[in-house]
Amino acid sequence: MFQILVVEDDRELNRTVCTFLNQSGYQATGCLNAEEAYDAMYEKMFDLIVSDVMMPGIDGFEFAKTVRSLNEEIPILFMTARDDFASKQRGYRVGIDDYMVKPIDLDELFLRIGALLRRAKIAASRQLIVGHFKMDADEHTAYLNDEEIPMTNREFSLLYKLLSYPKKTFTRTQLMDEFWEADTSSGPRTVDVYMTKLRSKLSECKDFEIVTVHGLGYKAVLK
Amino acid sequence: MKKTDHHRILRALNYYLVFFLLVSFVITCCMMLFLSTLSESLKVTFTDAHLNTAARLTFGNVLLLSFLFTIFDMIRRKYTVSQPVKKITNAAQKIMQGDFSVRIEKINGVYGEENFNPIIDCFNKMAEELSGTETLRTDFIANVSHELKTPLAIMQNYGTMLQQPDLPEEKRILYAKSVTETCRRLASLITNVLKLNKLENQQLFPSANKYNLSEQLCQCLLQFEDVWEKKKIDISTEIEDDIQISSDAELLELVWNNLLSNAFKFTENGGTVSVSLTADKKDAVVSISDTGCGMSPEVGAHIFEKFYQGDTSHATQGNGLGLALVRRVVDIMQGEIGVESIKGKGSTFTVRIRRNHHEGLENNC
Repeated sequence: MFQILVVEDDRELNRTVCTFLNQSGYQATGCLNAEEAYDAMYEKMFDLIVSDVMMPGIDGFEFAKTVRSLNEEIPILFMTARDDFASKQRGYRVGIDDYMVKPIDLDELFLRIGALLRRAKIAASRQLIVGHFKMDADEHTAYLNDEEIPMTNREFSLLYKLLSYPKKTFTRTQLMDEFWEADTSSGPRTVDVYMTKLRSKLSECKDFEIVTVHGLGYKAVLK
Repeated sequence: MKKTDHHRILRALNYYLVFFLLVSFVITCCMMLFLSTLSESLKVTFTDAHLNTAARLTFGNVLLLSFLFTIFDMIRRKYTVSQPVKKITNAAQKIMQGDFSVRIEKINGVYGEENFNPIIDCFNKMAEELSGTETLRTDFIANVSHELKTPLAIMQNYGTMLQQPDLPEEKRILYAKSVTETCRRLASLITNVLKLNKLENQQLFPSANKYNLSEQLCQCLLQFEDVWEKKKIDISTEIEDDIQISSDAELLELVWNNLLSNAFKFTENGGTVSVSLTADKKDAVVSISDTGCGMSPEVGAHIFEKFYQGDTSHATQGNGLGLALVRRVVDIMQGEIGVESIKGKGSTFTVRIRRNHHEGLENNC
């Protein structure tokens, strides 16, 4: 069972978040400030941290920075009343993984925690498995029913990205920015060519599908 | 009271001294010129005895004239300066106390025309503006408190109803859902009020960075993927690739999100939402259309006002602040926003913004 640490100075909110997470199949530990959280982390290993930003004493930014310096892997999710871009930016700079603005929707919190844990698992094992399809990030190889499917590096990276965030649509420009050099002369439509190739290579695979979203971008849909 | 008397005497003495010096100087000069010319042409020399008496008389004359001048000047001042100043001061004091209805009458005469009437004009205009903003402010507070209290009342009612013993399970869930939904509405209202407040107080021009507008529109549109899948809405996009603009990305995102969320809100299942982006050298034009219920021209004229909701049947889904926010941002960017709508057919919102914000400002100056 996943252990989740909730750091939030408002007792009532802390209690509801913890209760909800416990009901949803996680094991949540609530702490009212960063000091308490440090003590809790000393005693137990956590898989994910949900933290407030504005807290008395050590604030969320400071807390996240300290945690990140000790543990590079653990996903940190901020929940905060501040919705300006500057504080989001500051949060991501100190190394958080996700950001939610209060009042938070508990169902959304559940979904986001699920996604964060999934990505953390992929990052830790360097392997991505969807049904009969397997991708190994170290070897840069993909297997369908234990049979290797030849792919170029770029094809592999594109697919790995889409499958790491199933159901999330990436625009062509987002993919271009990540997997092509900045000075490339090819336009965003180049991505279309790669997607066509990937689709024909994966025509046998029935576990997921690469979907074009209204000319905006692409997403992987698991079946 | 004593202090003011004291001051008055000092002031009178001061005026008197000034006039005394002035009159002495003028008379001395005149006398010297007159006497020296006279003595030369008539070849007469004056003796000390002659001069003594004349000097004493003249000195007395100077004292008397200065006194008369002082009195005359004080009376003149009282009517041409002190009274108008007093009028203005009284009016200013009234404004300080919060009475914005006060206006000052114009002053007749040369003095008024030249010196006080411009001040009075400015003052009256200021009072008018102040009473205008005051009405807006009270209206806004009235609106906000109404909008805040309604959801609170709903939550309170459901809270009370939830306390009933032996409540059937499905009712309990229904009530709890309503509480959650109302909370969500309240939260978005508060967020919007705060944002609008921040934007209205924004004196500085927004920060401008070069970024890809086409990409921003695509990403904003993608946030509604769940909605269009659920409502089976068709999407049609005509977004030119790689349109770079130099502007405040965060503020413009607010515009696209609000316009898109309206488009998706008002489009029925199976309808179409279209987004297009075109650009020339100077401007970028974004239009967002829906095939929703549309609106009459009368409604269209008011939709950018705060708390205006054209169709009250959709009132539960919004707070009437979205388009006010959009308008405010477009105003800050010195852009233009327009709406074309046919009742029953759908609406098209068109936003035109400068591709280079700062260049535009320089041209304007």
